[in-house]
Amino acid sequence: MKKVTRRAIAALVVAAFVITGVFVYCFDYVKNGAVWASYFGVSNVTGTSTITDRNGVVLASETGGKVTYAADYTTRLACYQTVGDLSGNVGTGALTMFRSKLAGFNLVSGTTQSTGTKLSLTIDSALNATAYKALAGRSGAVLVCNYKTGEILCMVSAPSQDPSNPSSSPAEGTYLNKCISSTFTPGSVFKLVTLTAAIENVSDLDSQTFTCKGSVDVAGVTIHCTGTHGSQTVEQALANSCNCAFAKIAQEVGGATLEKYAQKLGMTEAHTLDGIRTAAGSFEKADDGSSELSWSGIGQSTDLVCPYSMLRLVSAIANGGELAEPTLLGRAAIGGKTKLLSQATADRLKEFMSYNVQSSYGTGSFPGLKICAKSGTAEVGDGTSHAWFTGFLADDAHPYAFVVVVEHGGGGLRQAGPIANAVLQAAVAKY
Amino acid sequence: MDALTPYILAAARYVLPVLALWVLARCVRSMLREKYEPEVWGYVLDGDGDKVFPLTHWENLLGRAKSADVSLSDPSVSRVHAVLIRNDKGLWRLYDTFSKGGAWVNAKNAEDEEGAAVRSGDTLALADKELVFEDISPAKRAELEKDRTPAGRNIGPGLTLLGLTVFQAFLALEHSVTADADHMLIVVLGFAALILIEWFCYFAMRSIRRTGFEVETLAFFLTTLGLSVVATSAPDDMYKDVILIIAGVVLFFITGWWLRDLERTKKARTAVALLALVLLALNLVIGKISGGARNWISLGGFTIQPSELVKVAYIYVGAATLDRLFRTRNLIVFIAFSAICVIALALMGDFGTALIFFATFLVISFMRSGSIATVALAITGAGLAGFLMLSIKPYIAQRFATWGHAWEDVYDKGYQQTRAMSAAASGGLFGKGAGAGWLKDVTAANTDMVFGVLCEELGLIVAVCAILAILILAFFAVRSAAHGRSSYYVIAACASVSMMMVQLSLNVFGSMDILPFTGVTFPFVSKGGTSLLSCWMLLAFIKAADTRKGASFVVKPPSKSGGEEDDDE
Repeated sequence: MKKVTRRAIAALVVAAFVITGVFVYCFDYVKNGAVWASYFGVSNVTGTSTITDRNGVVLASETGGKVTYAADYTTRLACYQTVGDLSGNVGTGALTMFRSKLAGFNLVSGTTQSTGTKLSLTIDSALNATAYKALAGRSGAVLVCNYKTGEILCMVSAPSQDPSNPSSSPAEGTYLNKCISSTFTPGSVFKLVTLTAAIENVSDLDSQTFTCKGSVDVAGVTIHCTGTHGSQTVEQALANSCNCAFAKIAQEVGGATLEKYAQKLGMTEAHTLDGIRTAAGSFEKADDGSSELSWSGIGQSTDLVCPYSMLRLVSAIANGGELAEPTLLGRAAIGGKTKLLSQATADRLKEFMSYNVQSSYGTGSFPGLKICAKSGTAEVGDGTSHAWFTGFLADDAHPYAFVVVVEHGGGGLRQAGPIANAVLQAAVAKY
Repeated sequence: MDALTPYILAAARYVLPVLALWVLARCVRSMLREKYEPEVWGYVLDGDGDKVFPLTHWENLLGRAKSADVSLSDPSVSRVHAVLIRNDKGLWRLYDTFSKGGAWVNAKNAEDEEGAAVRSGDTLALADKELVFEDISPAKRAELEKDRTPAGRNIGPGLTLLGLTVFQAFLALEHSVTADADHMLIVVLGFAALILIEWFCYFAMRSIRRTGFEVETLAFFLTTLGLSVVATSAPDDMYKDVILIIAGVVLFFITGWWLRDLERTKKARTAVALLALVLLALNLVIGKISGGARNWISLGGFTIQPSELVKVAYIYVGAATLDRLFRTRNLIVFIAFSAICVIALALMGDFGTALIFFATFLVISFMRSGSIATVALAITGAGLAGFLMLSIKPYIAQRFATWGHAWEDVYDKGYQQTRAMSAAASGGLFGKGAGAGWLKDVTAANTDMVFGVLCEELGLIVAVCAILAILILAFFAVRSAAHGRSSYYVIAACASVSMMMVQLSLNVFGSMDILPFTGVTFPFVSKGGTSLLSCWMLLAFIKAADTRKGASFVVKPPSKSGGEEDDDE
């Protein structure tokens, strides 16, 4: 019998398994309980809670499981992906992501009855509406933030729909907040990354002369340029967005270094915006001397970038290299600072981007704005191009960084530039 | 009354966990902390050194092994030499377990399967070693029995049950506040009926001088939670559930009574095995598909889940007495029986139950053979079979794919888990109050996601108490194993608690996305007729291993055991 008695340990092994499971569950509960509890909480918590924009405009208000959205039609569409909806179709919407803040939760009492909970987002719904109108039915993303505080003032994704009257078969991409959940071929805006790597790694960058004959041959592959730019400095090469020059600069930087900078500047990794995970971009390291390396330095090849990652980069450039992490919750979120660039590099890039506007884009397109920018026209392979326009205002009174993407929109400056101008003019006029 | 409602709910919210913990703590103290002395059934005297080995079990292993009950150092004795077994009637026999040197009783060889009868004063010869067997005299036994601690001497089971009754009363009170007007009466009556049933059992046990009631108390605690789940999710079925509880308790007593007689129990094993196979075959032929699995049959207006009954039969057939453990043939027959059961369940698509059988098979085969190698081999075999199954049954593969990713598909594949987790978390430690949750309205909430309902309405503390109740039964079964009369009872009890624990793991951790979601029931708590019946029957196996003095109706008191007639009280 003693033998059998000893073998009863088998039951203890099973018991140990159960106990381990209970601990795993309790650990999960402490860690994720708030998110779980509030996930379906909107329809199940009786109480009232409201989401407003920075000026108190009501974007969504729920009472006893029913949600009413913003009063104005355009505002509802312009804020759809940012606010989300009751059924959680937009996974990154505030109604879904910030539910625990709305419902009220603590580990001891579980969900608590919430009455009058108010959540104020940093966006300005009027700016969103301006941006949405400027997109004029085209698909794309518009992001504006204050680079000193990180507060996101404008976040619009199109196509959109009216959450009060949702379509059963909305246009493709309606449920995506393209500002944070999509990646696009960056085209020439990626030259900012290549240039950063060059500034810090190519010692004779400033003394070099780049000659453009309209195309260049790299490892047997012809890389075409947007024009024939002749002999240029690096500053002029960026302003001309010269592919021949950047094909050469990419080679001088080298594949490994370029990959390192794509990572370091946050192009390839996913970030978190107040707990919302953003889309990770991609950058494939190419062999030194190959045409792929040149293409990847120009922002073509397999490069993909999320608009949010680009916003972080231009914000850091604008703020002397130190990035105030963007936020939708403002002071409610504990947003940190990230040192993305050295002060010297940031200042250098700022000069370059200012020169772009002065010499190439023309200040006339942006009346009254001290704008520094970079445009991008990213070929997507089907004959169309994504139009990018990103940058910031070098203006302490109006410290705004921005990213505009128009999908299949065509030329960056021509298509995305006016949208940026419209939103920035409205922001400057208002604040 | 309406003005008082919030106060009643608020008070009950905190009273329930406190009472649950108090009831469990008393069960722990009484079942796991009280003195538990062995019984003595006879002696083996070592002729050489006047050494006396008391025989504390009905089944005793003689040999050179350290783990033998009578451990001998003589080099001619094999490690596992012979087993000395007492039957219900007090008659002893010696069985040779394939020893090298042979075993004799007064020169009669004990080699064949029937062994050789042993009487007090007989000489047992194990190879060159001679021992003398002496039965215990009734006077001596009575004297020893007096010194044993009666169950519940220090921690009265009556007071524990009273604690449970108060718990039930508060729970009923909460339900009476939240239930709608149409169901209020039936819900309260349901709880009242449960209280009557448990006190009836208690006094019935008292009347036959049995003072151990903790095992039943734990089962009634779990049943209470089950009744609460029914009250909140399907109050119309309240009445049906009470009838099922009565049926379960009756089956518990019938099974227990049947198990009292080990000879009778052993003789019926083949019949039970055949019955199990017939049930499975019947299920395969006329079964109804529900939730992807063909595990229901309809008989004259009743739907039953045969696999639940087969669980009881499986343990009944799987447990074995010590003399049989050393015969490989017996293990092989059992392995074949297990394989048929698991394959039949796989064919039905009842993956969760197949997994429970397999885990129980591992426990039983380890307890029978003591061989880790056997277990490892079985796991490898099952792993291969499992892969085969995944490729044949796509919906099972899908559950594995969803495992750990429930939140990525909240509206389809992770529908149930995410809702269970969300509701569970929203309850916090003390719950939203019985009947006040929302998960109850989700399909299968009262079976597969019952842990979520418990957490949401009664809080994490009470829900964890439900798990603890089963764990206490498990630790008690293991503790009792040291004093088991027959290895049959020890194996059956350990297998029963293991089965319950595996089942609760799959239920709880499956719904909380820690394990794949297999849709099995939480013992005693999940709504489901056959499952409740089988749980009460499994409880009889645990009760059969409880050899504390005067504790269990399944265990005959030593004074009554060994008489000429089997006299029931």
